[in-house]
Amino acid sequence: MKRLVKRVALCKYVWLVAVAALLALAGCTPAQPKRPEQLTYPPLEFWIPEVTQSTLSNGVRLYLREDSELPLVQVTVMVGSGSLAAARELTGFDDLFATTLRTGGSGSVPAAVLEERLDLLAANLSCGMGPYATQLDLSVRRDDLREGLAILGELLRQPAFAADKLELARNQAQEALRRRNDDPESIADRLLMAALYPDHPLGDSPTEASLAAISRDQLVDFHRRHFVPGNLWLAVSGDVRQTDLLTLLEELFGDWPPADVPDTILPPLVPPSAGLLQAVAKEVPQTTIILGDLGLTKDDPDQYAARVLNFIFGGGGFNSRLMREVRSDRGLAYSVWSQFQVGRRFPGPVMAGTETKNASAVEALALVRAIMHELRTEPVSPEELQLARDSLVNSFIFGFTDPHAVVVQRMQLEFYDYLPDYLDRYRERIAAVTAADVQRVAQAYFRPERQQVIMVGLPDETAAPLESLELPVRRLRGDDLRR
Amino acid sequence: MFCKRLLLLLIALLLPQLATAVPLADKVVEHRLANGLRLLVVERHETPTVAAYITIGVGSVHETSETRGVAHFLEHLLFKGTTTLGTTDYTAERPLLDAIEQVGSELDRLRLEPDADPARIAALQAQLQELQDRHRPFVVKDVYSQLYSQNGAVGFNAFTSKDLTTYLVSLPANKLELWALLESARMQDAVLREFFTEREVIHEERRRTYETNPRGLLYETLLATAFAVHPYRNPIIGWHSDIANLSLAETRDFLRRYYAPVNTTIALVGAVPADAAIALVERYFGSIPAGEPVPPVAAVEPSQRGEKRVTANFDAEAQLAVAYHKPTLPSREDYVFDLIDQILGQGRTSRLYQRLVETEQLATDVAVYGAPGSRYPNLFVIEAVPRHPHTAAEVEAAILDELGRLQREEVSDMELAKARNRLLTDNLRALRSNSGLARLLTTYQTLAGDWRYLVSYEERISELTAADVQAVARTWFAPQNRTVVVVAREK
Repeated sequence: MKRLVKRVALCKYVWLVAVAALLALAGCTPAQPKRPEQLTYPPLEFWIPEVTQSTLSNGVRLYLREDSELPLVQVTVMVGSGSLAAARELTGFDDLFATTLRTGGSGSVPAAVLEERLDLLAANLSCGMGPYATQLDLSVRRDDLREGLAILGELLRQPAFAADKLELARNQAQEALRRRNDDPESIADRLLMAALYPDHPLGDSPTEASLAAISRDQLVDFHRRHFVPGNLWLAVSGDVRQTDLLTLLEELFGDWPPADVPDTILPPLVPPSAGLLQAVAKEVPQTTIILGDLGLTKDDPDQYAARVLNFIFGGGGFNSRLMREVRSDRGLAYSVWSQFQVGRRFPGPVMAGTETKNASAVEALALVRAIMHELRTEPVSPEELQLARDSLVNSFIFGFTDPHAVVVQRMQLEFYDYLPDYLDRYRERIAAVTAADVQRVAQAYFRPERQQVIMVGLPDETAAPLESLELPVRRLRGDDLRR
Repeated sequence: MFCKRLLLLLIALLLPQLATAVPLADKVVEHRLANGLRLLVVERHETPTVAAYITIGVGSVHETSETRGVAHFLEHLLFKGTTTLGTTDYTAERPLLDAIEQVGSELDRLRLEPDADPARIAALQAQLQELQDRHRPFVVKDVYSQLYSQNGAVGFNAFTSKDLTTYLVSLPANKLELWALLESARMQDAVLREFFTEREVIHEERRRTYETNPRGLLYETLLATAFAVHPYRNPIIGWHSDIANLSLAETRDFLRRYYAPVNTTIALVGAVPADAAIALVERYFGSIPAGEPVPPVAAVEPSQRGEKRVTANFDAEAQLAVAYHKPTLPSREDYVFDLIDQILGQGRTSRLYQRLVETEQLATDVAVYGAPGSRYPNLFVIEAVPRHPHTAAEVEAAILDELGRLQREEVSDMELAKARNRLLTDNLRALRSNSGLARLLTTYQTLAGDWRYLVSYEERISELTAADVQAVARTWFAPQNRTVVVVAREK
């Protein structure tokens, strides 16, 4: 930790000198520059912030960044098992497990008492389950850390999964199910995931039957098998000293005996056999369009080229082609975007989307696909490439402005087995991406005939029918979705 | 008696040493330029980045019935550059911009005429299209975004609210001068390019925000119903007919009139020495003429004389909002409403959550908030999502019963302690990020007239008692002051 302090101090010093130099320079030249090219910038001195790592006696891994500016502490607990480890038919298990763990009280403290304490402390505590991990987040004032951690420990080690709280969570999930067709975006997202991950847990959405089938015993059993010290990762930031924290954690978790972590058997993914456009009729003045394909996993060396491609395509805000062509030049949409989600064990989705008035829905979708076609067939311009790389490299520092995000990121990189030099070499890997790399990745993931497209609204087909988009078309009505 | 005293003692011990106010007051360096621009700087050197917020104290409340939507529209157009940025050659571009304005305005005028010649309209449309195509080569697209991105800035954005407009970005600290150059140019030298295309973007934004999701419809209907006179009734974005008829002349006028130092607060939070920040802002913004202060809104919402009740149809399950008119900051009652907001609706142990969501399970969600702005008397809103088979009417009855309880009985000491703790701790959390702090500073400087509202907040909140809560509930939660909106599928 000493070394870190020195580095920060040095960094601050360099910056102050640089600013002083800038001001001195400004003093000599009273004319205020009119154009950005006339500006010169002092170098930015920046080191990736260090995170202290240690392991408790029973194998719990701890990542810490001390930060005493405000009297607050944040804690993230990651348990290395998620919904993919639950039984295949229990879609919706993630939500019911996480909610009931959070709200069901513990073996020694009833739910009502626990909630009363958390609210009086103005603590924030949440729990969520993803495909690969379950995460709990706690935020407390410094002076309440002991009590906050004690509550967190109770919920981790002996959650009560109170039956009434399970029923409450189930009732809420059933109501969400009734409302899942209210919002065009939620319909589009759901249908796209189902199309990309057919007959796979990553594509499933809960049904009345799957929710009804989830029992308290299954929650208890999942907890018993997966919530063991060797499967636990802790990230802490804020106003706490490492020695104090370790003492506290040993006290709360030290007697938790280690146990074997069960292997998760991942169900195989059979990618969709062909592209399809699904159009859902809904009485709204605007059509929501979303399209996608399967993309990359975290070990794919193409992920850097994919980031650059995504920036140029639709991830770079106003600097992206989608924004320029669909919004800025033609006024067809307010929001238009693209995204490459990097999957952990299965390929993540590559997606693009927009919303446009029903009259221009076919035109907008054709335009998005035409831009993808250009990226496949022609190399991007040197200026576009440079802007994308500069932006990704120069904004890298903003991944480190929130001390808690820094610790959580470090923890997740290790949990998901990223290369140890991932962060250190990120910028040079981005800077090395060429136009040919970008085109190659576009060719791999922008395949017009394989795209899954969802439209929700009442697209006007007077000028051109949906079939003109050269994909098989399936038309659905609201009733089809309710079944 | 003993028990009660013991409880109070316990609560007192639990009250944190909430150091919200003190460190903030010590850290903010304030500087006023001769032209009236106010600069607030907080130095933080954890990472070499700076959050830069510029807030202009003008929002949609300052529009007239002729210019509804202009504050927000202008915000979009201010991303299009200046006479030197965003153009390949302004001198050559200028005549085309003038021609586009002339043809576009003529087209707008004709469209409103009942017996306009369709052939004439079509000809003008073609002419406008042709001019726009000729103009495009002069445009260096989205130059602000490009320059900021290239230099590693993130979160470049803007938002328009009822009361104010904010332009924000976070930069690597060594690039702060780029911000000063770009933003001072934007304030005094903006060129409103691509006006007619951007108007179409705004229509799409309106459809997306208010017309394709039931919540947007609920909120818009609530405001348009609860307010009869005050401009808080209008959507910030405007109605479609407002957007379609906004003119370049009106937009330019709004810009020239109000985007000026005298209405501006800047906050810079991050790795920048305060004296360097002051020198930089003086150098780039110091020579801009002060401008004209935004006049206060003269319209006063008359007291409501009876309950208002509206149903809006949307292809969705029912949701509802119940709202009451209330005073705004800095009145003492507004602080009391902050406590009521907590006691009723924030957290799992709050009254409405307990009753509606947990105990009776009438609803899956309840949300309580103040809206739609804070410069003028506003609304206290309760929204809820009924749970089948319960109806919006059942949920409403339970909400009204809880409001009645607040009028009949004093809240407990424990509830007051929880509410205070939560408000003060959440304020502390809002200070964590540079951008969060920058936002608080410019927002409260503009809304309350002094950012120190944040400093005195703890004291104001701590003075309030259960009797205050009861008195405020009795005054404002009256049936004649109520508006109820339900959005549901047509039966």
